[in-house]
Amino acid sequence: MRALGPGSVSSFLKIVLEVVHAALWVALGLLLIGGMALLVFQPFVGQLYELDLHDLTRSHPANISISPMMLALCMFGFAIYVAVLVVVFNRLRRIFETLTLGDPFLPHNVGRLRVIGLALIALQLWSYVLSTFLHWAAPSVHGDKGISVNPTAWFAILVVFVLAEVFREGARLRQDAELTI
Amino acid sequence: MAIRLHLDRMLLARRMSLTELSDRVGIGVADLTLLKGGQARAIRFTTLDALCRELDCQPGDLMQFDAGEPETPAEL
Repeated sequence: MRALGPGSVSSFLKIVLEVVHAALWVALGLLLIGGMALLVFQPFVGQLYELDLHDLTRSHPANISISPMMLALCMFGFAIYVAVLVVVFNRLRRIFETLTLGDPFLPHNVGRLRVIGLALIALQLWSYVLSTFLHWAAPSVHGDKGISVNPTAWFAILVVFVLAEVFREGARLRQDAELTI
Repeated sequence: MAIRLHLDRMLLARRMSLTELSDRVGIGVADLTLLKGGQARAIRFTTLDALCRELDCQPGDLMQFDAGEPETPAEL
């Protein structure tokens, strides 16, 4: 199976990315609507929620109490995370569009890869913020793990920036070839 | 770019149109227009060979180095 062009692996991956991108928009919408609903109806449901998180936290106490305000804040926090993921997947599917057309070495793709790299940095940093918030809001669930730095994720971010430079050089060579008479 | 190509001057001296030169050397008019306008980034020896052959001139008659012109940046 071919790697580039119509009917190739990249065109199949582009379809997968389109589906994930749409699913992320739906998730983002649900999180925002849920968070807003919790804030609006807070006076009517001004009690603590009992969340059963047994499946998520096997080694910790399963039930936690959380106020509607805290739950709404958590939902907005995850909404920001999903929003950055939407940015990443949007740029990725545009890159895959050019791969499907068989012409990936475009100056636009350099910018897209850099945006993806920056968005991945933002995701990592935001995950630390969320982790700290959860540790403070629900210590019984989050335990005493604190912030855990994932070296693989940071290495992947570095690879994305290196890939952006490779694309920049590729785009330059392509332009050179086009302007060689 | 500091290298200038005097293709238009040479065509005028030979009383030849760009289309005629294109037919003779087998290079598209669009590419020759890029060369004439100084937008080309590089020229192949085969192209230079064909141009010199058809215009009956030396490479030096076609090109000139102008030190006052700024260098073309290699970056995109």
